Amino acid sequence: MKYALLIYGDDSAWADLPDEERAALRAEEMPQWISLFEELGKADPNVTGKELDGRSTAKVVRVRNGERLVTDGPFAETKEIIGGVFLVDLPDLDEAIRLAALIPAAKDTGSIEIRPILQ
Amino acid sequence: MQFIALIYTDEGTWEAFSDEERESWYERYRALGREAENAGVLAGGNELAPTRDATTVRVRSDDTLVTDGPYAEVKEALGGFYVFDCESMDEALEWAAKIPSAEHGAIEVRPVYVDPEEAQL
Repeated sequence: MKYALLIYGDDSAWADLPDEERAALRAEEMPQWISLFEELGKADPNVTGKELDGRSTAKVVRVRNGERLVTDGPFAETKEIIGGVFLVDLPDLDEAIRLAALIPAAKDTGSIEIRPILQ
Repeated sequence: MQFIALIYTDEGTWEAFSDEERESWYERYRALGREAENAGVLAGGNELAPTRDATTVRVRSDDTLVTDGPYAEVKEALGGFYVFDCESMDEALEWAAKIPSAEHGAIEVRPVYVDPEEAQL
């Protein structure tokens, strides 16, 4: 079964940091991410992942009566937004849960939503 | 440059469609997929199972907490996404507006972040 692991977190504190501090935090967390990538790669050599840019870069588009409406900001008005996604083929949900818990962003205030992908 | 187009719709609206209506929506999605592929813009895309099939995982004080259901109970839920390879946000928004569900839902477009110094999956 192919799963999407959707990473939800509050990126506002992160986005407000000066570039240097953000780079330092990234470097500090990197070993955990690298060991996660290794685990994901062992589980599915064809795993892919996307990290999304911050909330200030988000746009929302709707089409109503043939007219295109574009607004700024993420769709959800919550503090936590999607920050990234992994797509991974796994034997079962238990394995998806095990790997989701290894995602560094699952800690503190973050959450990982696991959704099966329809073929 | 890659952009992700997150498709938010009311799952109730989708499930209330008849099989024929749903098939005609799927046909429009397939047509968009072909158009984007022919234009060299399509870099990925998936439809997600409904939120009732979701599982949410959190780690708090080293404990793994697992709950059934989506991260947040919302009227309009993430139902799928496309990844578009475009020159600009404007071009990505043009493609996003072609997504059939833009007519009853909302499409959130976000640039994919690439740190040139990091190994990418």
